[in-house]
Amino acid sequence: MDRCLGDLKSGERACVESIQGGGAIRRRMMDMGIVPGVELEVVRRAPFGGPLQVRLKGYYLAMRRGECAKIVVTQIHEFNIDTVDNTRHIKHSLASR
Amino acid sequence: MKIALVGNPNVGKSTVFNVLTGSNQQVGNWAGKTVERKSGIIQRASQTIEMIDLPGTYSLTAYSQEEIITREYILRENPDVVMAMIDASNIERNLYLVLQILELAPRVVVGLNMMDLAESSGITIHSAELAKALGVPVVEIVAAKGKGIEDFLTEAIRMGTLEEDPLLAQVPYPEELERKIQAMEELLANHSWATKYPLRWLALKRLEGDPEIGQEWKTSAPNLAQSKGKNSCCDYEVGVTYELQETTVLPGEKLLHKYEAEGWSKDHFEMAFADAKYQYISQILPKFRTHLNPTKPTRTDLIDGWVLSPIWGYPIMLAVLAFVFWGSFVASAPLGGAISQGMAWAAERIVSLLEWGQVPDFIQSLVRDGIFAGVGAVLAFVPQIAIFFAFFSLMQDSGYLARAAFLGDRFMQLMGLHGKSFFSLVSGFGCNVPGIMATRTLEDPKDRLITMLINPLIPCVPRLGVMSAVVAAFFPGSRGSVVMLSLLMLSMLLVMFSALFFRRVVKQTERSAFVMELPLYHIPTLRNVLVPTWQKTYSFLKRAWTFILVASIVVWVLSSYPQGVSMQETWAGKMGGWLAFIGEPLGFDWRIMVAIVFGFAAKETTLSTLGILYGVAADASQSIAQAMTGAMTPLSAYTFLVVYMLYIPCLASVVTTYKESGSLGWTSFGVAYNLILSFVLGWIVFHGGLALGFH
Repeated sequence: MDRCLGDLKSGERACVESIQGGGAIRRRMMDMGIVPGVELEVVRRAPFGGPLQVRLKGYYLAMRRGECAKIVVTQIHEFNIDTVDNTRHIKHSLASR
Repeated sequence: MKIALVGNPNVGKSTVFNVLTGSNQQVGNWAGKTVERKSGIIQRASQTIEMIDLPGTYSLTAYSQEEIITREYILRENPDVVMAMIDASNIERNLYLVLQILELAPRVVVGLNMMDLAESSGITIHSAELAKALGVPVVEIVAAKGKGIEDFLTEAIRMGTLEEDPLLAQVPYPEELERKIQAMEELLANHSWATKYPLRWLALKRLEGDPEIGQEWKTSAPNLAQSKGKNSCCDYEVGVTYELQETTVLPGEKLLHKYEAEGWSKDHFEMAFADAKYQYISQILPKFRTHLNPTKPTRTDLIDGWVLSPIWGYPIMLAVLAFVFWGSFVASAPLGGAISQGMAWAAERIVSLLEWGQVPDFIQSLVRDGIFAGVGAVLAFVPQIAIFFAFFSLMQDSGYLARAAFLGDRFMQLMGLHGKSFFSLVSGFGCNVPGIMATRTLEDPKDRLITMLINPLIPCVPRLGVMSAVVAAFFPGSRGSVVMLSLLMLSMLLVMFSALFFRRVVKQTERSAFVMELPLYHIPTLRNVLVPTWQKTYSFLKRAWTFILVASIVVWVLSSYPQGVSMQETWAGKMGGWLAFIGEPLGFDWRIMVAIVFGFAAKETTLSTLGILYGVAADASQSIAQAMTGAMTPLSAYTFLVVYMLYIPCLASVVTTYKESGSLGWTSFGVAYNLILSFVLGWIVFHGGLALGFH
C-alpha cells in the first residue's frame, strides 16, 4: 500500500520510502534532507490546496502538494510516536531505488 | 590570506561577516549573476585577510545560482581556509553541507551558531565531540551577541598558517560503493587533476557525471580600461571573470559505461552519496547531540500556530503587510516632502547665485525646473525605499517572509510562479521600484525575470492616488468604489495572464519547485537590518542617479523648448499632438496624450500636467479632475484610467528593471509590452463600452 506524503493528514508522521522522478527537484529534496529512511511529520496543510508544512530533522520545510506527491512514504505506527529523534534510519538496499 | 565564509541560508553568516569586516565591505554582483557578492578586507596582526561571504546554500551541487557560485569559488579561487557556519538547532541538515565542503577543501573551521536557540528547544551540542567526529576545529559562537566571532577568525587564521593540511574525517561509504569509488580513484590518481583537487572528491564527481570536472578555467582580473569605458555608474559587477580554456576528458569513461550497464547511473550514484552522508551524520549524531523533550512545542511552533493557521494566517499577514505599507509609504511622506522642499530650496539658492552671476535664463531654468525638480522627484522616494528595505530585512531575518511566501504560494501557483514572488508583487502596490528589487530572493532566474516584468502592471501608491482623484470626479458616491474595484480586478487579471504569457516568452519549461525552508523565528539584530538597508538604498541611488539626471534634462528640454510658447507648442506637446491619432480610437484628445507622454518620467505629475492643459491652477487635485469632467465622458475617463494604470509606472522603475535584469532587450520588451497592452486594452474597453451602450 503506497502512500505519498501529500496524502497525510496534518499531525501524521511517516517515513520516506522513495522519491519518484528525478532532476533538479529530486536533488533539491536530497539537499534538504529528504532521503529514503528519513522521518517526516506533516505539521499543517495550507488552506485552498496550498503547500504543506513538513517537519524533518528538527526543522521546517514548505512543499507544494505536487512535490509531496512524489515522495512515497510508509506510515509510522502509533507506538513509534515518541521517536522524534531522527537518527532512525531504515536500511534499504541501494538497488531498490 | 583568502578566507571564504560558507553556510546554509539563515545561519547568521552575514552577521559574522558584518562584525568582522565592519565598514570595509565591497558589495556588488557576481560576474554574470544576479547574486550579491560581498567581500571585505580584515587586518589581524601581520595578516591581511580577504574575506568573502559566499551566498547561503544547502549543498554544493549545481542546482541554484548560489550553489554554483559557492562551488566555483572554492574550486577556482582556492581559498586558504573555509569558515563553515552551522546552525546548532538544525545541525543534521547543516552538517550535510559541511561534509561536502570537507571533501572539497582541505582546511575548514566550523562555527557553531544559534546555540541559544538550540538550547531553548532542548538541544545540547558538545562542540568538542563534534570537532573530534569531523576532525576540524569547532568554535561556538552567538553571532547575534557578537560572542565567539573573533575566536572563530583566530582559529581560521591559525588553520591557514599551518604547515600541513590537517587530517579530516572521511565519510564512510557502503562497501559496494566504496569499491566503485576506489576503482575510479585508481584511474584518476596519476592524472594532473589529482594534484589540484582532493582525489576522493574528484572520483565522486566523476561518478556523478559532473560536467565541470575536466574543465580548465582561466581567471582574468577585471579589465580596468574596459570597465572605465563602461560608464562609471554601471561597474556593478566586481571581481574576476572566468573563461573556459580547455576541456580535458578525464579517464574513467569506460568504467562509467560499465557501471551504467550494471544499473549504476549518475543519478543513482548521486543519490547513494547523499544517502551515505546522511547515514553518517545520523551515526555520529548521538556522540555530540542530546535532545531533551523533542515533542515539546518550540517557540516557533507556537508562533506558527497563529501565523500559519488557516483562520488567522491571512488576517495576520494582511495586518503585517498593512503595517509595512503604512510605515514605508504613508508615514514616510513627511520625510519625502522635506526632501522635495530641501531640493526646491537648494535650487532657489543656486538660481539666485546664477542670477547674480548673470547666467542666461535657460540655464537657470535647466537647473531649477530640469535638474533639481527631476532629481528631487526621485530623491523624494528615497525615504520610502529605505524604510521599505528596513522592513524587508526585518521580515527576511525574523523568518516571517518565508511564512508570507508559504501563505501566498497558492495564488502564485495559479500564475506558475514561486511563493517568493508573492512579496515582490505585493510590494508593487507600494512602489514598483522596491518590488522589482525584491525579486532578488527568487532563485530561478527565469521566474525572477517574469516577476520583474509583471510588477509594473500593479498600480503603486502614487498611481492609485491619481486614479482615485479621477474616479472621485467622474464617478461620485458608491459608484466610485465599484469602478476602483473593477480597475484593481483588471490589474490582477492582467498580472495573472501576463505571468502565464511571459512563461512562454522566456521559455520557462520547468515548473518552479517550491521546496523552501521555513526558518525558526528569531529576533534580528539592528545591524543586520540597517546594513542591508543602507547598502540597497545606496546601490539604488548609485545606479539610478545618472539615468535620472539625464532623463530629467531630456524631459525638461522637451517640455520647455521652443522657449516661451504654451505647453501644447513645446516639443513634448507636439509629440502629444502627433500621437493623438493613437489616442483617437480610444476617445482621447491631444491633452490626454500629452499627459501620457509627460507621465513617462513620473506618473504622479499627470494631474498637474492635465491641470495646466485644462487651464486650472495646479494646487488642488480635486479641481483638476473636476475640470476634466467637462471635457470627457465617463466612458473615456474609464478608458483613460485603464491606460493610465497599465502603462509603465515611471522612469525609475524602468531603470531598476534594466539594472536588475541586466538586459536592455528584456527591459525594452517590458516597456513595449506595457504600452501595447495598455492601449489595446483601452481600445477594447472603449469600444466594448460603446457597444454596450455606455458613453
